Amino acid sequence: MVLNKAIRRRIVDMTVEGRDGHIPSAFSIVDIINYLFSHVLKFDAKNPKWADRDYFILSKGHGCLALYPVLHEKGFITDNDIKLFCKAGGILGEHPDFTKVPGAEASTGSLGHGLPFGTGIALGHRIKGMSNRIFILVGDGECHEGSVWEAANVGRNQKLGNLCVIVDWNSSAAQLMPFDNLSEKWAAFGWNVQVVDGHSEEELGKAVRAIEFQSVGVPSVILAKTVKGKGVPLLEGHGPWHHRIPNAEEYKAIMEALS
Amino acid sequence: MTAKKIRNQFADTMLEIGKNDPDLVVMVGDISHGILQTFAKACPGRYYNVGICEAEIISMAAGMASIGLYPVAHTIAPFLLERAYEQIKLDFCYHGLHGNIVTVGGTFDYSNLGVTHHCYCDFALIKSLPNTQYLFPGTAQEFDILFKQAYRNELLTVYRVPEHPHMQEISASAIKVGKGVKIADGKDLTIVVTGTQLKHAVEAKKALSAGGWDVEIIYIHSIRPFDAEMVRESVQKTRRVLVVEEHNVVGGLNEDVLRAVYNVRDVQFHAQGLRSFVHSYGSYNDLCESVGLSPNGIVRSVQEHFKKG
Repeated sequence: MVLNKAIRRRIVDMTVEGRDGHIPSAFSIVDIINYLFSHVLKFDAKNPKWADRDYFILSKGHGCLALYPVLHEKGFITDNDIKLFCKAGGILGEHPDFTKVPGAEASTGSLGHGLPFGTGIALGHRIKGMSNRIFILVGDGECHEGSVWEAANVGRNQKLGNLCVIVDWNSSAAQLMPFDNLSEKWAAFGWNVQVVDGHSEEELGKAVRAIEFQSVGVPSVILAKTVKGKGVPLLEGHGPWHHRIPNAEEYKAIMEALS
Repeated sequence: MTAKKIRNQFADTMLEIGKNDPDLVVMVGDISHGILQTFAKACPGRYYNVGICEAEIISMAAGMASIGLYPVAHTIAPFLLERAYEQIKLDFCYHGLHGNIVTVGGTFDYSNLGVTHHCYCDFALIKSLPNTQYLFPGTAQEFDILFKQAYRNELLTVYRVPEHPHMQEISASAIKVGKGVKIADGKDLTIVVTGTQLKHAVEAKKALSAGGWDVEIIYIHSIRPFDAEMVRESVQKTRRVLVVEEHNVVGGLNEDVLRAVYNVRDVQFHAQGLRSFVHSYGSYNDLCESVGLSPNGIVRSVQEHFKKG
């Protein structure tokens, strides 16, 4: 079963109109992002800096085409913002810009920054005596970066129980490093580990509800098993579609698959 | 003039500010842990000896800044500024976030530890990023005054804390971010100098006066923002300028001086700085002597590169 077909169609349209975009990366995480914004995160789209909000950082910034339509649907950004994706005068580029995009809690793109930045937000809220929750979505390929593991080490040792990492485990990482035992790695760093189907709202919900968010506690990681390009067989897997714009014929086939 | 270690002043200043400012958070990479215990005790929950992970410390500090805290990241200069440069560039500067980075072990203060522990390209690295300040306090007093002026503004400020104070008396009222300090008047040659080298420049002035050189000394503790006006006014008078700095000449203070005087006619110029790695060992003074950053070296530089009349 394929969820969020309408959002997926919008991702394709934005890619075609903006002449840029990573469709399969976005399809891999769109179900996670939409679930978080629809059922988990506390936010006020009209007041994006609301002090009591939960934080969501898309650390794998090249998946931003999954974030922008959700931010649009929830009221953070406008129709015009979407129209101007990757166009002069717009605020939406191929990686989210914290200084421009309401709802983007960090500027990302270079991999391995979102989680370290997020550990500061998590520890900072403890210092301020606040109980906000911090969710950070990283790629499994991103977990090649050493900075991810510096942050994992610090997150556990500083007992950042208000922090939840979600790994988009679509096996991109294993293309280059087949020793892909993410469960053991995160467990070895002392995090609470859950493995779920990242395209199942039921499993995502169950995993989030199982986490006891605490100002001082053990941080959690949800390893979300996903499919790159999920929802359109033409796009699925690790082939040439990573950073490609569909032509007219391909566009038609993709849209038919998402109808 | 007391010879108080500037690093000890760093700890004292953190304590004084931390008692009154609940937003000040100090994070270190297992450096200065002992002297910061007074801050840690007085400000519980706002001191972290994070670990040997400089990139993480910088990113974490930026994350804290994003929610309104005023972080101070502290450890050895090359690890914070060079290893974690992308974190500085992206997590602080791209985000437009404020914060403070206090380094020790700049240039070759850790003289016997070799090139891995040296740092002499940091002016260039930090100056070239938007939304940054670079301060180089040469005494405990300067650190205290400059930190209090800068730590809560909207910029990322780097403070290079040298091991050896320059030991010159400077009026507290003259110490301001962005302002140079006129140490001595002269009419033949302007020496623009920063950091511990001020001590050497003052000694060199004495030796040079015996040879008929009347040297003006301008001391720069504020690398960025830079007091171009004071330098230009001086060079308009002397038409000769020697820049003395513990930094690579590429991207160093001397380039700011050149920009300041580019439209002053007939200026003689030389930069006395570093041009490569410093592979030698010995004391700080030994290394200074080996690269011409000493009273003798400054005198030689004047004799070789400047002509009177």
